[in-house]
Amino acid sequence: MTRRLSFAQWLAVSWLLLVVVSACIAPTSSPVPDLLHTQEPPFQDPHWLGTDPLGHDVLQLLLAGARTTLLISIPTAVLASLLGGAAGSVAGFWGNSTYQVQRASAAAGVIGAVIALLFIPQLRTNPFPVGLVIGVLSCTVYYALRRTSWGQRQIAVPIDSMVQALIALLDSIPLLLLVLAIAAVQRPSSMGLVVLLVLTCWTTPARLLRAVTLRTKALLFVEAAVVAGLPTLRILRYHIWPNTWPVLLIRLPLSIAIIIGLETTLSFLGIGLAPEVASWGRLLASIRVAPAAWWLLVWPGAAIFFTILSLHTLVSTKITGFDKHLDVTK
Amino acid sequence: MKRILFGLLLLLWSSITGCSPSATSATPDTVRIRWARDPENLDPLIANNPSSYEVSTLLHCSLLNISDTGRNIVPWLAAASPQVERLGDSLMLVSYSLRPEATWDNGKPVVAQDVAFTLKMMNCPGLPTEMDQAMFHFIQDIRLDTTDSRRFTLVCTGQSSDYVRNSGDFSILPEYALDPKGSLRSVSIRELRSGAATAYASVTSFVQRYQAAQLAQHPDNLPGCGPYQLKNWQPGRFLTFTRKLKWWGDALAKAPPILRAVPKSITYQIIPDAGTAMLALRRGDIDLYPLMPAAEFARLRRSDADRARLSFYTVDSYECVVANFNTRQPTLQDRFTRQALSALFDVPGLIRATQQGAAYRSASIVSPRVHPYYNDSLPLPTYDTQQAITLLRKAGWREVNGQGWVRKQAGKLLELRLSLSYRAGDPALEAAALQFRAAATAIRIPVDLRPTEASLLVQQLREGTTEVSLRSIGGNPAAYDFTPLFHSNSTSLYNYSGFGTPASDHLIEAIVQTPDTAQKTRLLRRFQRLLYTERPIYVLYFLQYRIAAARRLGRVPVTSIKPSYRANAIDFSPVTK
Repeated sequence: MTRRLSFAQWLAVSWLLLVVVSACIAPTSSPVPDLLHTQEPPFQDPHWLGTDPLGHDVLQLLLAGARTTLLISIPTAVLASLLGGAAGSVAGFWGNSTYQVQRASAAAGVIGAVIALLFIPQLRTNPFPVGLVIGVLSCTVYYALRRTSWGQRQIAVPIDSMVQALIALLDSIPLLLLVLAIAAVQRPSSMGLVVLLVLTCWTTPARLLRAVTLRTKALLFVEAAVVAGLPTLRILRYHIWPNTWPVLLIRLPLSIAIIIGLETTLSFLGIGLAPEVASWGRLLASIRVAPAAWWLLVWPGAAIFFTILSLHTLVSTKITGFDKHLDVTK
Repeated sequence: MKRILFGLLLLLWSSITGCSPSATSATPDTVRIRWARDPENLDPLIANNPSSYEVSTLLHCSLLNISDTGRNIVPWLAAASPQVERLGDSLMLVSYSLRPEATWDNGKPVVAQDVAFTLKMMNCPGLPTEMDQAMFHFIQDIRLDTTDSRRFTLVCTGQSSDYVRNSGDFSILPEYALDPKGSLRSVSIRELRSGAATAYASVTSFVQRYQAAQLAQHPDNLPGCGPYQLKNWQPGRFLTFTRKLKWWGDALAKAPPILRAVPKSITYQIIPDAGTAMLALRRGDIDLYPLMPAAEFARLRRSDADRARLSFYTVDSYECVVANFNTRQPTLQDRFTRQALSALFDVPGLIRATQQGAAYRSASIVSPRVHPYYNDSLPLPTYDTQQAITLLRKAGWREVNGQGWVRKQAGKLLELRLSLSYRAGDPALEAAALQFRAAATAIRIPVDLRPTEASLLVQQLREGTTEVSLRSIGGNPAAYDFTPLFHSNSTSLYNYSGFGTPASDHLIEAIVQTPDTAQKTRLLRRFQRLLYTERPIYVLYFLQYRIAAARRLGRVPVTSIKPSYRANAIDFSPVTK
């Protein structure tokens, strides 16, 4: 299984390690502006990479920016992959007819959801009492309907169509526009940005996992497990996921690269992160205030470029290796 | 390989052509000006930002205007400066005569009845006129001259020269367009102000008609006597005004700058981001960039290529950048805390870093350029974190294990934790915010920075939900009515600090009402000391206006008062380099 890494791959791994080390050694406090040394060019002691229009040391900003990049992109990519992976697996495995519930449950769920939608403002102001009322109402509907023969009948939940519709809905809006619109109204914070990106970036992993699950589900050993009457979760856990999760793993660096690009764009536009949080995108944006300060373009630009390039190189390495085992790319 | 090479060449060519300045698409007699924000509403009654004020000056005329230096008043719709007669010790009669040439778009003359109508409208219950009522509360009545339809007299309470000036500072609106039946003629200003007028059916129907006209979004429903009319308005993108083909000002033999209207078309491009605006100026997409960031202004001035295309102007302004402390918030209720927080602003550093040194400090809200009124005995506050700590202790705050500051207030333990709001996208304000945060963090005061969209920020300021905020306050050296800014009756209007004590209110009223200059100077100096001690706001610096304009515009008339230029008087005359 051992593989020799090429020179380019070594460089990619080295650069990514450098980013991780930078993130670890970056100062934990917010950078302090030095108003006496603004826009100083690089290669001068003590600001070897220059300063920005507020006198922040560019090197320190790059290190702190590396940490922000990692703290935003890795959790986002992992969470989006997990969320998308779960949705895609469920949609692929259950399809539109496998998962069935009582009509009473379905009706109670739909009624509860509709009422909740109608009373969103009240739910926001008084979540507990309003939620309780909706819950009690739904339960009442459920218990009333389950006594009837109509309510006891089973109905198939079209999980696949629902997930696909949600994916189509999110994909129909350009990702950047969607993120921009939401980021513009919410207060800037790192946690808020992670949640926002997770909620908008899960669709690609979901589509991938759905496709792979559909293919794996059709394999004989899975059908044998179903025929043997094994529980659904057991089939998913022991027969489906071991064959599908490597796809997510391969996709992960690419997801990280995409999210780095998105986070950088948002920071460049001045939304998403709080103003005091250092980020490569924000550093890049300061070129707009000082267009003559080339170092504000070159250093963060190079950091972003090499990080994304390294992640892409890593992905291509993995795909090459993975092709030989699963041949999923065909 | 050939394809890649071709692609690279195509990319290179498009980059070169894309980055080079485009040939100007401007037509002669057209001016394109950068605005940082949309005016949002064009109703002259509720104009509440610099952009909508500027629109008002193009569409409508007031009786008086401020001279370019900002120190004198000049007649605009009035034929001459008003005649003033003081009666007893509290009343004043201000008499005006309107220019005989002034007409509305339909050819009818602008008459005193229009002024009376406007004043009544500004006091009409049911209309959004709170600001007008606060500003023009001193005008008690209007007396029309029975022999001359253009003459009238305003009856004012108070005898201050400020009142004389303010009495002519509102846009005159056409009665024929808004109230063709003259339904307000039978109602007096006093009745309207007291609310008794709501009993009149004619007033109610007038209010309904006014609201139905939706003037905020459809200013074309309100013809003005100004030289321009709105041709196109794409909110958030641009506004275009065209010069009226037939305007009464053309008949004047020697029109003053305020009554000149040279450009045939004026377009305001809404470009919130300073960097994008700079790019637009260099590409020739805009002709005039007012209030330009200092660093960019200096850089363009140094560049030979830009000097060949652009003219540069600077003028000391009466606009200051202030830190506003919302005194209604529990943490900011005492003056020592506010003084302590003021000591955390490194103002000299900020002036150097963000204004290239081209701004001037002041210990008060009165500009140091106004010598008799500025209280030069007040020391300039210094940037001193130790002093801040001392003042915080004096305010009753105590440090808890080096973690932060707390104090007991109304039986509760209060933590000193602040939010700092400012207009998003303004690099100078962001710099001040970051510097303040760093200094506050150093003495363990957590500060949450909140860059906020301009109109949302105004809304939050008005609702009193901000804590510390950074903003600019425009002023002029001829007006010293601090009622909107600091009077306790104005907390729902422009008194964003919520400050106001009986003593300060009394002082504000006395400043406005005194006709004696020496007394006014004394009162103003006392008021400045009071503000200095109470610190509801902290003046960081007064701005220098920087304007870059395309040379084809000719010599741009610049002023010390916002918007810092007179777009209507740009005459396209050649400028020597």
